[in-house]
Amino acid sequence: MSPLTVHSTRFGTIEIEADAVLSFPRGLIGLGGSRYALLTTDPESPFSWLHSVEDPDLALPVTRPWQFFPGYEIVLADDEAAALGLSGDDPADVWVTVRAAESIKDFTVNLRAPIVVTSGPDGPAAYQVINDAPGLKVAMPLFAASAAADSGTAAA
Amino acid sequence: MLSITRRVGERIVIGDDIVLHVQEVSGSTVRIGIEAPKALPVYREEIWAAVKEENARAAAAGVELPRGPVIPPAA
Repeated sequence: MSPLTVHSTRFGTIEIEADAVLSFPRGLIGLGGSRYALLTTDPESPFSWLHSVEDPDLALPVTRPWQFFPGYEIVLADDEAAALGLSGDDPADVWVTVRAAESIKDFTVNLRAPIVVTSGPDGPAAYQVINDAPGLKVAMPLFAASAAADSGTAAA
Repeated sequence: MLSITRRVGERIVIGDDIVLHVQEVSGSTVRIGIEAPKALPVYREEIWAAVKEENARAAAAGVELPRGPVIPPAA
């Protein structure tokens, strides 16, 4: 597949491989958009950008949750899982949005609404879903799990 | 906004594809069943609003992401 040119307010004009583009049949909740590219600007960093292919101004930092929350689980309503074609035996790629701040200790992640990437018939399809597992927030401190482990009060 | 009064067991149809069932009323709580096409997500309003706001905040980050591996800050 030929590379795709994406215009970005943040990064200028960039070329990305077509297979780095995720289709979002439902868009991102409240933001819409149907196609986003996963941009990794530093392979050493846990953070990537989910960049709209359609809107140069629209990009969200994302990370994979398990590096920071090893016990993270996603619980979906049965009909939701069925609608997305997911089952427990079929581990999907999962990202969560990051709210970046001046200091890394003030970063938060949205564990309540992860982005689940499925392998669709026409390439990867991604859905932002509501995670019904208990105790999750849309703005969870990035280091909440490690802080809890250090103090010996593991989060439920 | 359209307001419709319904009894338990009655339904509301929106277009040809969406059906709302009034299943149970108990005190100030109403249980509603929703039949909608798979492609159409259904949310509780307060969760939808919180995620929408969080997405907008994540997209508004005016800072650079840290480079390199992330080391947890000392507590």
